[in-house]
Amino acid sequence: MRKCQEKKKKQQIMINRRDFIKKSAAASAMAAAITMIPGILFASDQENSTLTGDINWTKGPCRFCGVGCGILVGTQNGKAVAVKGDPNSAVNKGLLCVKGYHQIMCTSSADRLTKPLVKKNGKYVETSMEEALDLVASKMKETIDKHGKDSVAMYTSGQSTIPEGYVASKFMKGAIGTNNLDCNARLCMASAVAGFLTTFGADEPMGCYEDIEHANVFVLWGNNMAEMHPVLFSRMLDNRLNRKNVRIIDLATRTTRTSKAADKSILFKPQGDLAIANSICYELINNGWVDNSFVEKHVAFNKGKTNIGYGLEDNFKFNDEATPINYEEYKTFLADYRPDKIEEISGVSAKDIKYLASIYGDPNLKVVSYWCMGMNQHTRGTWVNNLVYNIHLLTGKISQPGNGPFSLTGQPSACGTAREVGTFTHKLPKGVVTNKKHRELAAKIWKVPYDRIPDKPTYHATEMFRAVDRGDIKFIWTQVTNPLVSLPKTSRFRPAMEKESCFVVVSDVFPTPTSDVADVILPAAWHVEKSGMYGNSERRTQYWDQMVEAPGEALPDAWITIEIARRMGFGDLFPYSKENHHEEIYNEYRQFHVGKKHNMAPLDILKKESGTIWPYIEETGKSTLWRFNSKYDPACDQAKDFDFYGNPDGKAVIWQRPYEPAPEMPDSEYPFWLNTGRVIEHWHTGSMTRRIPVLHQAVPNAYVELHPTDAKRLGISNKEKLKIISRRGTTILPASINERGMPTIGQVFVPFFDESMLINDVTLDSFCPISKEPDYKKCAVRIEKV
Amino acid sequence: MKQGYVIIGFWIALFIAAGFIIKASLAEDQSLNYNKIVEQASTNSLPIEEGVYKLSYSAKEYLELVNSGVGFSKNLTSYYNRRAFPGAPPTIPHLSEESLSIGGKECLQCHQNGGFVDVYKAYAPIAPHPEYINCKQCHVPLKSEGNFKANSWKKMEAPEANQQALIGSPPIIPHSLEMRSNCLSCHAGPSAPIEIRVTHPNRINCRQCHALNDNSQNTNKIWTR
Repeated sequence: MRKCQEKKKKQQIMINRRDFIKKSAAASAMAAAITMIPGILFASDQENSTLTGDINWTKGPCRFCGVGCGILVGTQNGKAVAVKGDPNSAVNKGLLCVKGYHQIMCTSSADRLTKPLVKKNGKYVETSMEEALDLVASKMKETIDKHGKDSVAMYTSGQSTIPEGYVASKFMKGAIGTNNLDCNARLCMASAVAGFLTTFGADEPMGCYEDIEHANVFVLWGNNMAEMHPVLFSRMLDNRLNRKNVRIIDLATRTTRTSKAADKSILFKPQGDLAIANSICYELINNGWVDNSFVEKHVAFNKGKTNIGYGLEDNFKFNDEATPINYEEYKTFLADYRPDKIEEISGVSAKDIKYLASIYGDPNLKVVSYWCMGMNQHTRGTWVNNLVYNIHLLTGKISQPGNGPFSLTGQPSACGTAREVGTFTHKLPKGVVTNKKHRELAAKIWKVPYDRIPDKPTYHATEMFRAVDRGDIKFIWTQVTNPLVSLPKTSRFRPAMEKESCFVVVSDVFPTPTSDVADVILPAAWHVEKSGMYGNSERRTQYWDQMVEAPGEALPDAWITIEIARRMGFGDLFPYSKENHHEEIYNEYRQFHVGKKHNMAPLDILKKESGTIWPYIEETGKSTLWRFNSKYDPACDQAKDFDFYGNPDGKAVIWQRPYEPAPEMPDSEYPFWLNTGRVIEHWHTGSMTRRIPVLHQAVPNAYVELHPTDAKRLGISNKEKLKIISRRGTTILPASINERGMPTIGQVFVPFFDESMLINDVTLDSFCPISKEPDYKKCAVRIEKV
Repeated sequence: MKQGYVIIGFWIALFIAAGFIIKASLAEDQSLNYNKIVEQASTNSLPIEEGVYKLSYSAKEYLELVNSGVGFSKNLTSYYNRRAFPGAPPTIPHLSEESLSIGGKECLQCHQNGGFVDVYKAYAPIAPHPEYINCKQCHVPLKSEGNFKANSWKKMEAPEANQQALIGSPPIIPHSLEMRSNCLSCHAGPSAPIEIRVTHPNRINCRQCHALNDNSQNTNKIWTR
């Protein structure tokens, strides 16, 4: 018996071996041939030579951050089994980060949502998809009938695909006729958008990642790129290694891996960035380092309102007003920012300010400024964005290879979906709701009556959840986001969402603290289980095909929205097919951006290439890499060298914006600044990355970083449990001293991914009055030992 | 006399030619300044050729180690245990203190050239790509056991070692070469897994005989006649 088995086994091996030998003989012959005759591939042999198993590789963008790396996902027997960097992607050229390599592992988590769950008598009951969709649609309809259109709201995401964002906008603004649509990109990119619109009149960066290969100096404004944009950071390090005269300067309120890798680290006090940027401009003018002809031809000067508040009260309203000023007035304003005068508020020495100015002012150096959440999550976020543009406009270092300000994004499609499709309360796929022409265009493409789209924005993210608390919003539907971990001051919004007055629908892939308070939970398909497009920080649109089946009854979010819309009687506006809706929607959406300034690549190009950058020039089949420069951008007036065509006069605006203090500063009762952020291993609220074993085991919980001096003074040792207390709430975390990062003295830092140590119960819901983006980086706390 | 004119004429001609060359190169320099039109982002992706000879200075030393029995502690099982799937970046299996330093000051102290590390009583594996200094971008130490939620992830099978087409013919390379073009870092020396340790590390032109078999880059249908 045993012998028999052995024999059988042997036979099997023999067969395998023979089969294998046949295959590999072909393979090596083929490989040899390839080396002799480059360019010729032996297709059938190549396809059959499956020595590494039958792995099928499909291209797509990474699921996580805004860098938008190209990935190749390996599938085997209908399952995703491996991920590698796409060597054809101009973004990452084959490299990924630890999140990127392991992303697909979350899909096999045991608590994956596969069936709709409906809360009945306080308990979740599994239902069919049909029943759940019927319930959501009837509840939404009933609420509108009883309380009006503005009693229902939808809250989506910068991680929604382009089709998902588009149907959400069409459904809320075009079909129902309410502007109660906002998204979590309000929490990360709104200040960047407001900065672009006020300075250039057109959203999104003018440059692209290719700048990294041309620049001499990288100035990072409050941006820990080594952890948050690691692939771009490695690209910078690579350039420093292989090219002469490349430097990295880290300007931050906390010492991080980025500071250690940088050539120079400059630490400043929270909110000090406003003074630093103005002071650099003072130095540029004072030393005669201004590019006068550029300023004369391409720049206008404006000032806005000052003392603009912090949005701490409900129903806060603010509208900025631009007043033109002249160059002389601007110079007079800057007199207060002489480097030695701002040492106190910024915490930076005059010497370091002069050093920074000398870099921006040197005509022989190409300089790129990078920033992300440090400048955007800021109660003066729009201002500080404007101020960094001022530096680049004064020196004319903009819209050229290796020269320019570059606002990095956090989410994979914050640009592609939230900003370009416009899933904000004030936005439309092209333009804003307050503009009649923009409403007319949207109504025409959507085939809805023009007056159905309301002309006034309603709730931005923070105000939307305040309205839920007040009882003004009676139905809310969240998609691809986890607000009860990510909103500021969740200590107010968790009880708000639990109230009977509001019916909560949550579409997600995994259970989260947000789905815990839902009345209906809809299971959604994950990234590679659906087809779609994302748009990254450098205006690159990337397409991917569905690679594996979604489990159970999970559906793509776009299709869920369409199903609900149909059930509410808007079927004629959503005539898409289930198999191909993503393509049909994209083709419809493209009509919004027709024209030289924002043309999107057609689908067949997107399917072929690892992303294209808009404006896409169809005649030549090329991406426009640098906007506003007539050498590279055909949308410019070709008679000029630069044309900032977002503004009617073709000029960019230098804004006079002063320093104003943060709303809540450390005092004797709450003596520490609280700064929050991310770690490389975890993505946002951790709902995906914590379900990836490698990442969870690497960083299993959040912690609070202290400066060693503070720790010593308070007698706190590493890993000791500490209670962080603010005027809003508390949370308990282990201390981290001399580890990954080091805040400045008098500051603590906490990553926000951990739902069991909710730091957002502690944070403050103040926001930039112009962009309405909350400030997660500055509030006052005290520390107690537990 | 005539000869003298010819020589002088020759020098004048040479001088003029040199002038033209310098002028042309200056003009080129100016055009390079800022304005070189970049057609499409350059696609020099991760090198798969550059690392081939990187450790060749150690080759002789490795040869001496082949039959010495030094450092035979690593095998392919432990090699793949550190990876979520074949091709994934390995995790850091030893205590690694969270620290602020990066690359050269930390990990590369041991992993650039390898060698015996007393603390761990083991030979440090050599990083095949020491030029990437933000090590913890991809490699993370595991600080806890267990999962946030149970996970039914199944690792795909690792490619078989020593795949030969004919008896005695050189085995093929069954994995992709991005980040792993430096053959000797994993296939030679005391830290190499025993099953894939090469018997002839001194023959440093590995790909003279060992052909790549990796279909991962052909995402499109391949042309056939």
